[in-house]
Order: sequence, then C-alpha cells, then structure tokens
Amino acid sequence: MRSFAAIIALLAASLSASAQTGPPPLSPQCEAPGADISTVAPLPHLARKLEKGGKVRILAIGSSSTYGIGATSHRKTYPAQLRGILEKSLQGAEALIVNRGVSGEVAQTTADRLRTEVALEKPDVVLWQLGTNDALARVPPQDFERTVISTLEWLKSANIDVVLVGLQYTPQFARDQNYFAIREALLRAAAAENVLYVRRYDAMQFIARNNPGKVELMTNDGLHLNDMGYQCMAEHIAHAVIANLFVRKKDLPKGEPGAAEPPKPAAPGK
Amino acid sequence: MRGPNEIDFWRGFALLTIFIDHVPGLFYENYTMRHFGLSDAAELFVFLAGWSMRLLMDNRKEPMPLPSAIMRLETRALTIFFAQLIITQMALALTAAGALWLENPLFLEWNNASAAFEAPIETQVGIVLLSHQMGFFDILPLYVVIIAGSPLCVISDRIWKWLPLVLSLALYAVILVTGVNLPTWPVEGRWYFNPFAWQLVFVLGYMLADARGPLSALRAHRTSLRWLGLLGVAAGVVLAVADYSPDPVLLPEPKLFFMFDKTFATPARILHLLALVALFNGAFAIVEERIRPVARFFSMLGRNSLHVFCIGSLFALGSQFGRFMLGGSILVDTMVLLMGIITMVVTAWIVEWRVRSRAS
Repeated sequence: MRSFAAIIALLAASLSASAQTGPPPLSPQCEAPGADISTVAPLPHLARKLEKGGKVRILAIGSSSTYGIGATSHRKTYPAQLRGILEKSLQGAEALIVNRGVSGEVAQTTADRLRTEVALEKPDVVLWQLGTNDALARVPPQDFERTVISTLEWLKSANIDVVLVGLQYTPQFARDQNYFAIREALLRAAAAENVLYVRRYDAMQFIARNNPGKVELMTNDGLHLNDMGYQCMAEHIAHAVIANLFVRKKDLPKGEPGAAEPPKPAAPGK
Repeated sequence: MRGPNEIDFWRGFALLTIFIDHVPGLFYENYTMRHFGLSDAAELFVFLAGWSMRLLMDNRKEPMPLPSAIMRLETRALTIFFAQLIITQMALALTAAGALWLENPLFLEWNNASAAFEAPIETQVGIVLLSHQMGFFDILPLYVVIIAGSPLCVISDRIWKWLPLVLSLALYAVILVTGVNLPTWPVEGRWYFNPFAWQLVFVLGYMLADARGPLSALRAHRTSLRWLGLLGVAAGVVLAVADYSPDPVLLPEPKLFFMFDKTFATPARILHLLALVALFNGAFAIVEERIRPVARFFSMLGRNSLHVFCIGSLFALGSQFGRFMLGGSILVDTMVLLMGIITMVVTAWIVEWRVRSRAS
C-alpha cells in the first residue's frame, strides 16, 4: 500500500522510545506471550485514520465486561483504560470511545444493535466482546458463527476495522464442551474473516496459571474481572491494536509480543 | 368477563410470541413472526394498546369526560410502573438464585442484570427511574411512558381529530432526524425502545380505531386495502427470509428514515405493521367460527395481558436457566414452550377466577 511508509513514519515519530520497536510494554502482572494475547490481522482503516491525524472513533459493544462489572469506578472500565493507553502510546492521536456494552447479551442481540450504533456513531473501529453468554444460553455454535461472520462481513464492507474480544477464562468452564465449541466457532470466524482476535481466554489462563495466588484478576466471586483484570484486558487490547498497526512493517516479526502465530486450536481442560 | 374478541385475540397472540422470543436460542423462536416480516409482536402490542384506548374513551354513549379519562390513564400508567418494579425485582432475584444454585456468578451478568449486583447503589435508583432496564424487561418502561403521555392524545383529539396524528408524526420525524433517545443509567447506553419514536405506533392504533374519525374513510376501502396489505406482507416475508436490510452505512441522511431498526420503530417496520393490519383485520371472525378454542385461548391471554406478560417474562427468564442446565435439545425446547403456555393460561385463569369470585 502506497501510504504505508507514511503511516510508519508517522507512528515512528509519534511513539515513545520503547514503543518504537512495537507496542507499549505490559505491566508486569499482565505479561503474557504475544501468541496468547491476540492473533495477527491488519487494521487498515485505523492506520489510515491515524495517518490523516483525525480523531479515532471506537465503538465498544458487546456483553459483560464492556460495561465494566467488578471495576470500582466507571472510569476504570476497560474502554476508559484503553483510551488512556492508546492516546499515550500513539502520541498526538485522539481517541473517542463510545461504550455501548450490555451485560449478558448474546451475539445476535448485539449484532442487531450494532447496525444502528454504527450508523449513528460512525466508528473507525468496533471492539466487540462476545461469546461467553452465547455459551451459557446454549446458542447453537453454528448459529453463533453465522451471526458473527455475517456481521464481520458487513463491517468489512462498511470499511470499519474490527477487534473481537473473546470469552473469558473461568475455571468453572474448563471442561464445558459448549464453552469450547463457542470459543472454536469464534476463532474460526475471526480467522475466516481475517480480523484481529484478542485471545482473552488464553491470556487470562496464562496469567492465572503462572501467578498462582499472586495476581488477582478476578473479584472474589472468581469470575468478574476486577480493576487489575480490566487493566490487563485493556493493555492486551491496546497491545494487540498497536502491534497490528505494525504488522506489515516487519512482515510478522518473530519474537515480538503481539505479532503472534495464527489461531491455535483450543484444548479443553487441563 | 368479556367474550373472545379481535383485540384480545391478537394481544394474546402477541403475548405468546413475545414469550417465545424472550428465550434466546429456543428452537421455536425461529418461527415467530419477526422471522417472516419486518415488524414483530412488540409493534402489534403497542398498536393494540392505542386501539383499545380509543375504545375505552369513545366506545360508549358519551365520550369519557376528560378528568376521568386522565385519571384512568394515569392510574393505569402507575399500575404498569409498579408491575415493572415488581418483575424487575423478581427477575433479579431469579437471576441471583440461578447464580447461587449453579454456583456460577457469570449468570449475574445475564440480561443486563450485572449492574444491580456490582453497582447496587446507583442501580437501585436507576430501576425506579426506569433508566436501568434488564434485557427482555424493557417493554414495560416504554409502555409506562406512552400511557403516562396518552392523555395528550385524548386532549388533542378533542381539539381537532387530526391533531394527535399531526403531533405524533412531527415528534417522530424530529426523533428520526436527530436520533435523540432517552439515556440509560448507571449502565451507559440508550433505551432499547425509544418512547418518542414508538408513540407513533400507539397513536396509529388510536387513530385507526376511531370509527367516526378522519381515518374511518379507509374502512370503506377495506377490500382494496387488503390487497395492498397482502403485497406489503409478502414483501416483508421476502425481505425477512432473505435476511435483507438496507446497509445503514450506504444510506443517505437521515439514515433512520430508511433503516429497519427496532429501537426507533423506523418507517419500514411501521409500514409492515400497517400491512399486517390491512391484511388480517377481520381474520378473527374466521378463527372464531372455524377454530373456536384457538380464539378463546388467545383471547383469554389477551384479556389479562399485563399479568400474563409479567408471569410469561419471568417464566422465559427461568427457561433460560433451564436450557442452560438441560441443554437446548428440541425436547427441552418443546417442554419450555408447553410449560410456558400452561403457565400463561393458569395465570389468566387465576386472575379471572379472582375477578369472578369478587363479582359473585
């Protein structure tokens, strides 16, 4: 793409020293391998918008954690944190995040709302957090996959980048077949449509297993993300977004966090 | 107890449809009217509310005096408001009980319930302000606002017969151009049913029900309108089955005029509703003659719509938990449907038993 050199020049100029080699560093407690954080997919419309220097509009939609359950204040919901990280990392960029999360919503309901929200809010990027509630509502995985794919195709035709944020990791569902079927369906949809997929389950599982008793990402009910969980989620999303703005610069550099391998199959249980 | 009639019949039909639509993933949900047209049971329900308000006001020797009319409507709005508070509280309790029973706090997030548990201070206020609405428990707040505002309809009607429609269309147009909607709080968002747009559905019911009003001339052309209705309904089937809706991004401004959107009850959905009305008005007489039990069944539900709606909504929520525990097989889904129907019928029966026993 002819404008790509310009994007890189702009980003290189605007990023801090640490960010010049990629996305901003993660907080120690949120460290996870790049492959566990996200897949690799381009964000062409966001890149172009940043190049032009306009205000980036991000629509955060979906279920549960979009609203920010478990966070002690509204300011600390993940969209609020994400905005801070993005603006800091992409200096000079201005991000406006419209939060339209409804807890417990299934993907079909979000997909219906999404069309109107996109038409009214005109975002450059849609952050769609989904999957957990479809698994709980026993929505057939093939229906779920169809909903996701048709929505992704529409967003693509509308020139909007998408970041999918996957299911959360919960020990309760480590052996739930339906949970895995929905997760697989989401991975397939993301791969088929080549959109960025934040592997929330894998990252949370990695952190939980590598920091037993040390890091509390959940509130004491064991499920809701607490402030720290939101911070990690926001960091991981920001990391994935920024890393994927650089995807073409180095043609999938190895060993760089965020520049990850293609989706790996989910393994149920331990 | 009034006998089976057209309004109660369709209201009962809408109630059963709403129940089925409120159990996501349910097999039978694929066969409700929204999969075969642009509008759904919500439009039908609100339209019938407008229609029955007209009958309440004018279908008597003398039109109801204005003060009584206002009192009647405002106390009705209050009743619906209380019903909303009670079913919201019961839905939250059911959600919490489900989470406790299944030892799985993820259920606390279902249907937008989470704020009630995570931010209880704000949410307690939000529930009473109707600014916090659980998923599938969002139609009564619309109803409260519409009925609370409905005296404006009656007053303007008595000034000039066209006035309710003129005012309603003007408000609708402004809302569709501006996209204005009521905010939700503490969860950041907007009302699922925008009352300023949906009021038109209600007013259309009110206007069309007027046997002597400005739109009554349409009744002389019932047959030709039925053909037009058939055309509209057929077009709705084609669009719905093809899963077509205009791409909002490509549409010219003001986009809401051309979108198929439920929150704003956009024109396409309202036209489809009117086509349904044009096609199916009078169909009740055939049902009553040929399959009387069906006419009686739906009329019984419709006669007791508020109670049936409330219990049906709660049963639908319970069914969501049931489907999680038992899985979503066709057998489970059939059980859910049958038990839902029985629950709604029993609810209607109990309410009528109470009324009858009080009368005797």
